[in-house]
Parts: sequence; structure tokens; C-alpha cells
Amino acid sequence: MTRTRPVQRKIFLFLVATLGVITLALFRVELAEAFSLSGPQSTMVSAGPVAKAQWDLFMVTVYVTTFIFIVVGSVLAYAQIKFRAKSEAEERAVPPQQQGHGNPFIEIGLIASSVFLLVLIAIPTLRDIWYTHDVPEAERANAMDITATGYQWWFKFEYPGDMVKLPTGGEAPLVTGNELVVPAGVPVRIHLRTIDVIHSFWVPKLAGKVDMIPNRPNFLWLKADKPGYFYGQCAEYCGESHAIMRFRVIALSPSEYVRWLDNQKNGARTATAATVAAAQQATKVEFASFTNTSPRSSLSASGEMETDPFGAWRKKQQVPAHEEPKLIAEGHQLFSDKTCMNCHTIRGHASKTGTPYGGITAPDLTHVGARSTIAAGVLENTPERMSQWLNDPEYFKPGNKMVHGIGGMAGYFKPDEHGNPVRNINLNNREINALVAYLQSLK
Amino acid sequence: MAHAIAKSDYTAPGGAPAKTFELFPRPTAKTGLVGWLTSVDHKKIGMMYGGFAILFFLIGGLEALMIRTQLIVPNNRFIGAQLYNELFTMHGTTMIFLAVMPLNAAFFNLLIPIQVGARDVAFPRLNAFSLWVWVAGAIMLNVGWLSHFVPSWGFGGAPDIGWFGYAPLTSKLFTPDLSTDMWVLGLQTLGLSSIVASLNFIVTIINMRAPGLTMMRLPVFCWMALVTSFLLILALPAIAIALVEVLFDRHFGTNFFEVSGGGQPILWQHLFWVFGHPEVYILILPPMGYVSEILPTFSRKPLFGYPIVVFSGAAIGFIGFGVWSHHMFTTGMGNVATAAFAVATMAIAVPTGVKIFNWIGTLWGGHIVTRTPMMFALGFIWMFMMGGFSGIMHSAAPADAQQQDSYFVVAHFHYVLIGGATFALLAAIHYWFPKFFGRLVPEFWGKLSFWIIFVGFNTTFFPMHFLGLNGMPRRTWTYDSNMGWNEGNFLATMGAYLLGVGIFTYFAVLIYTFFKGEKCGNDPWDARTLEWSIPSPPPEFNFKAVPTVHARDAFWYEKTHREETAKEQAEHMQAEAAHGGIHMPDQSWYPLLAAFGLMVGAYNFPQMDAPLVLFGNTLLSSHLPLSLAGVGFLVLSCYLWSLEGPGGYHIHLDADGRDTTPRGDHY
Repeated sequence: MTRTRPVQRKIFLFLVATLGVITLALFRVELAEAFSLSGPQSTMVSAGPVAKAQWDLFMVTVYVTTFIFIVVGSVLAYAQIKFRAKSEAEERAVPPQQQGHGNPFIEIGLIASSVFLLVLIAIPTLRDIWYTHDVPEAERANAMDITATGYQWWFKFEYPGDMVKLPTGGEAPLVTGNELVVPAGVPVRIHLRTIDVIHSFWVPKLAGKVDMIPNRPNFLWLKADKPGYFYGQCAEYCGESHAIMRFRVIALSPSEYVRWLDNQKNGARTATAATVAAAQQATKVEFASFTNTSPRSSLSASGEMETDPFGAWRKKQQVPAHEEPKLIAEGHQLFSDKTCMNCHTIRGHASKTGTPYGGITAPDLTHVGARSTIAAGVLENTPERMSQWLNDPEYFKPGNKMVHGIGGMAGYFKPDEHGNPVRNINLNNREINALVAYLQSLK
Repeated sequence: MAHAIAKSDYTAPGGAPAKTFELFPRPTAKTGLVGWLTSVDHKKIGMMYGGFAILFFLIGGLEALMIRTQLIVPNNRFIGAQLYNELFTMHGTTMIFLAVMPLNAAFFNLLIPIQVGARDVAFPRLNAFSLWVWVAGAIMLNVGWLSHFVPSWGFGGAPDIGWFGYAPLTSKLFTPDLSTDMWVLGLQTLGLSSIVASLNFIVTIINMRAPGLTMMRLPVFCWMALVTSFLLILALPAIAIALVEVLFDRHFGTNFFEVSGGGQPILWQHLFWVFGHPEVYILILPPMGYVSEILPTFSRKPLFGYPIVVFSGAAIGFIGFGVWSHHMFTTGMGNVATAAFAVATMAIAVPTGVKIFNWIGTLWGGHIVTRTPMMFALGFIWMFMMGGFSGIMHSAAPADAQQQDSYFVVAHFHYVLIGGATFALLAAIHYWFPKFFGRLVPEFWGKLSFWIIFVGFNTTFFPMHFLGLNGMPRRTWTYDSNMGWNEGNFLATMGAYLLGVGIFTYFAVLIYTFFKGEKCGNDPWDARTLEWSIPSPPPEFNFKAVPTVHARDAFWYEKTHREETAKEQAEHMQAEAAHGGIHMPDQSWYPLLAAFGLMVGAYNFPQMDAPLVLFGNTLLSSHLPLSLAGVGFLVLSCYLWSLEGPGGYHIHLDADGRDTTPRGDHY
């Protein structure tokens, strides 16, 4: 057997140390960031009782395993150092004749203590399985129900307790897309459905995920302790654009929630010269992000959206300072001319011929102008972003149905007789501007 | 045991010599392409498994590097969503089925017969069949990559449904192209290979042990191989059924998982994980075996608590079948089921912990010799322990609701599968390399590669724990810059490059050693098991005399009882010579041909609706005739295989173990 010579060992240590130093020097500033848990989807910074219970349980497992690691690791490290053959002579030394094969008492002792430590984890685990499963009995009467449905690649939210009148007559639950608004302090039971493949509903700061599985009615519950703006994301691989199937949960104080709900129950806003003038009287909001024309390769939101997304969301509820009624009317018309209405609903609006905008295979856009994001939480909802999105949806969300069509309905492309895609919807800049102006007016 | 079946012993009912039918003369070449393609020698087959596995290990690594490069900065456009999804699907599938499993199969082949004191596996031709069927499966899984260069093939690229292929994403509605069919049939083919190989190893271990080698003297590696083989034959049928169901849903309109017909996608998850969780132990038990061999050698002490290590291995195998739903804590199983699987998962931590305690007990009081294999083995204990702890964290089901499908899980299983399985495999390759190639890997370069791999691995995967806790989901081809994930991802990617450098160094050194390394004797590590008692590289017949085993560490005993051993061996040699010499099995073409037929059949089956087009000319309106021809070829090959008979020839040795068979008289 050949030992490594001491010189070699020194080269070794030198190399390892150099590597370490280079690594540290490169990332010194950022290293701490890599291990911080302060992101908008942090599971540590919980904002509700379910996420808190889950984090606290996680910490129990961390304490127990850290304890085991310290004990077992110390013994292992000690054995490695203490019993290391220090010289060639020691390596060749005749091994102890009495070679031990084990000791049943040590084994049983170790097994018993492992079991004991696992019981320490098992008890809170069992308690929390029941606690996180459903709204606690005491609060159940107070709980609110919402149905969330996963689509490739966006979320639909329905409020079965809040019916709205349909233009065609009859009633249906209020529907929104990709931004779920809930009252803070109220337990919410979210029923999880899917229209196509398996998705998973995950808002880390509020609750761990539960899957949306076809032919299987699941649910979860969550409660936001305080008003806030929370990030969520699909957590089960669901095809090409799984990575950008995102959504938001906005928790509002009860009074603000009621205001929001009342507005949502209204049909879509129609911006005529008169309503625009009236709105100008009421508010003068200038959106910082409206002037932000960052290149499209950087999808991140404006600074305003990043530092205070909740504030940005609130601002989106208001009518902007500049609106062009003529352009908006043009967009209204294009929404049917370009067949957008086949998939999207804009409740209360209809084409010239009187066909209501009532498609159901894509997000409901009745109040899209009041959302902080578009395209399932991918882009901030600004006119610039929206026109980039309409101009090239495939770039932002590969495989999306607005481009490729769904359920026999054509999108931007449709298949020719050989199945090859040919262009179906063409939008020039003027048309995109009109559509953007129209959609942004839907507060 | 010294008794062997000779050609003349192969009798038909009634005692007359059986008639054999040979379509063409049996191959006899020991070297060259024909020698390898028709080999039934467990060592050659093992090396082919190993070679292919290392090739795929490097391909899988390359896929990982592309994944990490895509994630180096937020909103990166290095590769698109579709290619990314193919890459992570194939990275997982490749590393599990085409790298770690066949590397384990390589060591099963190389070591089991020698460690049990046999001259080959129980069914040598079946062993070759396993190998070639595995190659067929590997080709089918990867053939889709080529369609990136030839789009008209209609594969739609490599499979892109995740290594777990959750229904209904695998339904024709969502993945209409052939890539999913190739994934289904590729896995099915690999499963067949594994079942056949497992049966072979089980019979070999139970029936072909040398005299005196009782089960409780069996090397721990063989025990782990035995448990693994049982896990394979019990777990694979579950996924075989599930894969057949997907195939039927896709091609014959059944409704197992088809949502519109009332199918239950959740059923796939249960079937998949009933296989998938034992699969985790299929991957990790053999590495536990390598480590249990390497630690005693380099501690110069027997394994501490041998019966407990063996028993806990078997216990892991049993409990491993009862924890599958911990992969499904977020599927809404209900409280009682969740609680039961959570507690069962905690229970499996106990036998796993016991193994770690016993490995530490093995070190205790020994003379620890820190050669490269020992470095990797010690690295294994540390890293596997880390992976085990995050595993315990997952067993707390409510906490797992936050971790499931996040990077925390990615960190966890890479600690188990790289820090655990791969470290142990790298230890094993380094440890047994001198035995099978007769050359010692240079210590300096071996240790250097260990440290680069160790640092690179931890730099890659440790930050992923934090990424996961910070809410980053897995299988995402891009992320936004305001999520707090930038630094962690950058660090992980840098670590991955370092890990790549380490792996490159490791294998570059092996290639150098293969050609130029220092030659070594039979027993360079002063080791304890039988393989070290025979020459390096071992002769075709392994043992000049079948050994008699007197103790757990059989060769260690022989080394301390030389006279007794020499006397026994002389007796065995005489007995065998009197019986006609050492009996060896004949080579055969049929395993290779049968596997080829299987591949043609499976490859063409899902294309039965598509016309066969060659260079723009439509030759057939359907692939179905080709598929049937492939199956026919398989059946015919198996038939001729059985008519050919086992065959065999004798080798004669002189007292020093030299081959004295007259040239050309081997047959």
C-alpha cells in the first residue's frame, strides 16, 4: 500500500484552502443572502396559523436531528481522528488479535434512544396532521369557502358564497383569475380542482401545498393573520410552463374586502368620455411603473412593485390618470374581432352583435385592470408589459394556450390540414395598444 | 459444490444424452468484439455494465450541468422550457436507471460469484440476456434526443414528463408524441432486465456458495445484494403493471388514468411509489454493502455488529415497502393514512441509524488507513447522515407539506443519492479497480478528486435546503429575480461546475491508471473477503480450487491459517481434476439476439398507427408488422437458445494454477 507523502498532503491542504478562499472571496457579499429565508415565498416568515404550525413542527425536527448530529458526529469525528494510523508502521502493525464483532447492549441502547428521539417528533407530527387538515371546529362556522381550479398554466378562483348576475340571466359564483383576494383573520377553506393535469396550490407564507388532482376533490385551509400580499406558485410539474404558473393571494381587512367584493360583483367598467372625465375628477394617480420600460428579458417587476407589492396592488384598484375613451372603445371591438371572447369572459360586455364576452377556457378578465399581475403572476400589470405579452405570448409562457389554442379553438396559431401551425390571429401595434387600453380600463 | 455439469451430463428424460441443435457453431472467441458480445463470463458482463453505466453517469451529469447553467441567473434564456423539461426528466431517469442501478449490477456481477466462491453466476446466458436487454432499454429511453436533429421522427424530443411520469400528463391528450411511449417501453424493458438479473443473483447467492459459507458468514455486500434482488423482483411488478396501464390508455382507449373516462390519476401515484420507494433502497442498499466491506478493510477490524447490520438491511427492505405514500403527503390521503405513513417513515430511520452506529463501531479501536476508498466511504457516512436527517424532517407530514416538490427535497435526495450512493460507488470503483485491472490508482490524484467532489457536492446541494425553505419549487426552468433565490442558485451552479471538475478528475485518473498505473498484487489493501485471494485481474475460472470457508472474513482467516488452506485447496484441486477439470459455460449469441428482437418489437409497437417511412418513401402503412417481427425474432431466439443447451468445456490446471489445457482443446 502506498501512503500519500507529507508533501503531497500539504499540497492537498493548500489546494483545498485555496479553493475555499476563492469561493469565499467571490461570494463574500452574497453568501449570507444564499442562506437567508426572507424571500416572498419563505416558509419561515409565516403569516398564518397553518404555515406557522408547519414551520414550528419543522423546527422540532431540526432541533432533534441537530442533537443527533452533534452526538453521532462527535463520536464519528473522534473515532476518525483518534484511531487513524499515523505512520506506515502503524498501518502495517498486526491488528488487534481480539477483534470485536459487536456488543448487543450498545446496540439495544442505541436503538432505544433512537426510538425515543423519534417519538419526540412523532407526537407533534400527529397533532399537526389533524390541525392543518381542516379549519378548527371552533372557527368552522366562521369559515369561508373558495374553489381554486388549476389550468395549464393559470389558476381560476371562484367564490361560491358570492353570486353575481350574468348578462344572459341567472346567477353564477364570482370568478377571478390568478389573484385570490381573501379577508384577513377569516379561515378560508380552499377547494382544489383541476381542469387538466395535476397542479398543486402553494402559498408558502400561508400554508403548505395540497395537490389539485383530477377526479379527486381535495381542499386545504389557511388564514392570513393580517392584510398582506402573498406569493404563490404551482408546485407539481404540470407541463411546459409549470415554472411560471404563479399566482398571488391578497388578504384585505374586512372593510376593504367588502369594498373590493362589491366592485368585483359589478360587471365590467365601461370607459366612455363621461366616465373617464368623472374618474379624472376623483383621482390623480401616477403609476411609477407605467414609465418603466425595462427590456423584456428582465421579467422582474418595477422597484415599486418589488418593495411594496401590496401598495402597488391597491393603486391598481384606482382608475389611472390618463385614459383615451376612443382607443378603449376600439379595444372593446377588437376583443370580439380577434376572437379573444371565445376563451375570455368580460362580464357585462358584449360584441356589437350582442354576443356576451363569455369564454370560459381562459382567465376571467372582468376586472383585469385592477390586478397587479398578468399572465399568471409572470408579468407586472402595466401597459408596456401587457403589450409585450400580447405581442409575443410564447416568449413569456412557452406552450400557452392563447398561442396554441385549446379544446379545438384556435389561438394565435391553428393547425393546417397537415397539422402544421399557421398564423390565425394577427395584431398590429395599433390594435395591441387599443386592446391594452381597453383591458387596463377594466377596473 | 466442486461437482459441475459437463456437456455429457445434460441428459434427456430416460438418461440418454440430450440432443442439442445448433443453428451455427457456438462462438468461442475470448477477445475481440465477438468475444464481448457473446460473453457469458460474469466479469466481462460486469465490466460492460460498468462501462455503459459510467457512460450514462457522465451523460446524466452533463444534463445536470445544463440544468444548473440554465438556473445560474434569474430569467435565463440559455435553454427553453421544453428542453429544460426533457433534461430534468432524463437526468432523473438516467441517473437512477442507467447509472446507479447498472453500476450496482456491475458490482453484483463482478463480486457476487467470487465472494461466494463460485466460478460464474447460476445462469450465465441469462446474465448476458439481462445486460443486452438493459442496453436495449437504455437506447429506447435516449433515442428521442436524436429527434432534435431529425425532427421528422415524431418523437418530439426526449421524454418530458418527469422521471415519475405522473398521470394524466402522460395521457395522449397532453403528450401526444412518441417520447412518452419510448419512456414507458424503455422503463418496461429495463424492468425486465432487472427482474431477470435479480433472479439470477438470488439463485447464485443461495445455491452456489462455497463449502462452509453459511448465510451468516456471507459478506455483507452479498447480503445487501440479496435483499436488493428481492426488493427488485417484488417492486418491479407494480410499475410494470402501471406502465402497461399507461400504454393501454394511450393506445387502446382504456380508462385506468384517463380522466374523461373516470380514470384515477392518483392510482398511478400509488403504483409508481409502491415501486418507487423500494427503488430508493434498491439504489442505496448495495452502496451500504460496499461501505460495509471497505470500512473493515481500512480499519483493519471486522465489521462491528455483523448480524445487526444484516438484519437492519433486511428490515429496511421490509419497511421500505410500507412507506411509499410519504411521497404523497400532499395528495389529500386523509389524516389516518397520512399519520400511518408518517410514523412508518420514522420507523425506517431506526434500522438506517443502526447501520451508521455499527459503521462507527467498526472504526472504533481500529487502525484507520485513509486511502482514497476509505475517504469516500467516510464521506459517505457523513453525507448519508445529512441526507438521513432531512429525510426525518420529511417524515413530519405537515412540515413536508411545505417541503414537498421544493428544492429542499432536491437537496435531501441528492445527499442520499450522491453523498450516499454515488460516494459509495466511487469508493467501490476505486477499491476494486486493482482487483479487476491489476493496477493501483495513484493515491494523490484519488484523494484530490475526493476533495474536489466533496467540496463541489456540498457547495451545490447545501444551499438547496435554503432555496427550498425559501419557497423555490423544483422542476422549474426559470425563476424571477425578486424571490431571494439568486445567490443560492448561483452558488449551487458554481458548486455543480466544481463537482463536474471533480468527477472528470476521478475518471481521468482511472483511465490513466488503466494504461499506465502501478501494477499490484492479489491483495493490495490487505483485505478480508475471497476476491482478494485470487489473482488480479482474476482468471476466467476465478478460483483454481474452490475455497472452503471457515469464518466470516473468509480470506482473513485463510491469511492466518495458511497451511490448513493450502492443504484443503490441494484436495479440492485433485477432486476437481479427477472429475474432468474445471467446468466452464459456453458462450452464446442468443442472449444478444433475443434482446435485439425485444427492442425491435418494443420500439415499433407504439408507432403502429404511423406509416414506416424511410428516406421519404412510405414502405409500410403501419409499424405493426415490424413490431410483430421483432417479437417473433425474440421468441425464435429463446427457442434456439434452449435447443442449443448449456454446453460447457473443461479447463485443466497444474498444481500452481497454470492452465495446462492443450491449445484448441478447450472445446
